[in-house]
Amino acid sequence: MIAALNGAFDDISRAMRLHRVWIALAHEDIGDQHRRTTLGPLWLLVNYVAFVGTFVFVFQPAGRDAAGYSAYVAIGLLVWFYLMEVMSMSVSLFQREESFIEGTTLPLFVYVMRLGLQSVIRAGYAIAGCVAILVFSGSPVATPWLWSLAGLLLILFATPALITVFAFLGAFFPDSQFIVGNLLRVGMFFTPVFWMNNSQDPIQKYAYEWNPFTYFLEIVRLPIINGEFPAHAFTVTILASLFTWAIALLLLGRYRKQIVFLI
Amino acid sequence: MVSIKLNNVSLVYKLHEKLTLSAPDRRVAGPGGRIEGSGRKQFVQALDGVSFDLKAGDRLGLVGPNGAGKTTLLKVLYGIYEPTDGSVDIEGKVDALFNINIGFRREATGRRNIVLRGLISGWTEAEIEEKMEDIIAFSELGDFIDLPFKAYSQGMAARLAFSAATALDPEILLMDEWIGAGDASFQEKAKRRMDELAEKAGIIVLASHSEALIQSVCTKKLTLRSGRIESFTTEPVKRVGAVAKSS
Ligand SMILES: Nc1ncnc2c1ncn2[C@@H]1O[C@H](COP(=O)(O)OP(=O)(O)OP(=O)(O)O)[C@@H](O)[C@H]1O
Ligand SMILES: [Mg+2]
Repeated sequence: MIAALNGAFDDISRAMRLHRVWIALAHEDIGDQHRRTTLGPLWLLVNYVAFVGTFVFVFQPAGRDAAGYSAYVAIGLLVWFYLMEVMSMSVSLFQREESFIEGTTLPLFVYVMRLGLQSVIRAGYAIAGCVAILVFSGSPVATPWLWSLAGLLLILFATPALITVFAFLGAFFPDSQFIVGNLLRVGMFFTPVFWMNNSQDPIQKYAYEWNPFTYFLEIVRLPIINGEFPAHAFTVTILASLFTWAIALLLLGRYRKQIVFLI
Repeated sequence: MVSIKLNNVSLVYKLHEKLTLSAPDRRVAGPGGRIEGSGRKQFVQALDGVSFDLKAGDRLGLVGPNGAGKTTLLKVLYGIYEPTDGSVDIEGKVDALFNINIGFRREATGRRNIVLRGLISGWTEAEIEEKMEDIIAFSELGDFIDLPFKAYSQGMAARLAFSAATALDPEILLMDEWIGAGDASFQEKAKRRMDELAEKAGIIVLASHSEALIQSVCTKKLTLRSGRIESFTTEPVKRVGAVAKSS
């Protein structure tokens, strides 16, 4: 266990010394994905705004203010799309990096950070759209917004751990790539991304309270929507992040040398 | 001090075969490593008890039939594979040229690829920038350096890979059958650069099927067969360069 942790920290610290590599590669990735398009990465912003618009238009609850609901959906989709992209890309991470893993001695955490940074950059466009929608829908910019910022930072902190865990999962059980993809598609309906918990429907209540992703969403959303500090949601998210990190470190320390034989 | 020490190194590839309905087990002894195990779990013994020492200035030629374990051995030396058994001790900064396309991005220009390659080897942007003109000049790619890598021919790719890898001053250089793609004049140039590297007290390990190449570059020769060392000759055959100089 101690040896595994040492191995993991060695991998991570070597990856941090090579930060120039994953920063450069992440930028290349973003550039490649949008090569020869007119709008370039701005498509990410367009996509996001179109999604929010559609959801507000279709699901806006009767008798509720459209502005409040757009803020609700805008933040919900922002966080959910980010988490969804991180997880669905992670399960095939090592397979996609096969040629680098079999041809160089870069620490695995380099690939983790590369994907993490890439997702953050992409989310940046959605954040710009989200802030615009919030301001446009008349949410007053206030001090509780800082709690939302703290929430985003907490998600950022959890990201490398999530990527690591899902990447190992995908490498050890290739079937999980399809399972995770399907679960995520269904998961959107079991996570309060666009519906609100009214504590009436027992299934809804269950989906709200027992879904860890609820709390990842609420730490960013509640401060802005309700102007409060969601202590419970923060506690759950912090515990979930630490737990994920613990697993990620063990996996990384124990199995990083095996990955090259598995992909 | 630059050195390589291998002690009783073995490497086993585990194959996780999918369930299949086709006829099982009709094995004939093939050219490669030995296949063991049956059913869903199979193993290939790619290296079996390999031991040797190399010191500064050595140029080792790795030879052997297809599947003998040459590429596997190079990857163990580079640190990509952890040996299943035995120990590997390496002193010195290692760089490697395997498959020409590994570590290059198809969409990026040659110039950008040199930067990425340098970063991966742990160099800073400033250090890479300093070497950039040398690398481009040595590769003789000219204006092609600013075209995307996917527009390169095999030989052009080999030139870029070799120029970049050797310009970054490796102390130990591992090469896997790369040179075939370069034309005669580039091969000649590459040989000279390898000589320089070895004279600077480096180590070169070169896997090749070309007897002529091994003879002209290497001072030692290791023959592998089915993952085992068949012979390790220390003082080989004629050195073309030396002959040319003395005459
Ligand atoms: N990824 C892998 N998975 C399973 N077996 C492998 C793998 N790579 C190589 N092998 C096996 O290991 C043995 C040694 O292969 P290796 O590639 O080292 O041979 P080589 O000497 O480089 O051959 P060549 O001259 O064809 O390049 C072979 O039997 C091969 O089938
Ligand atoms: Mg080979």
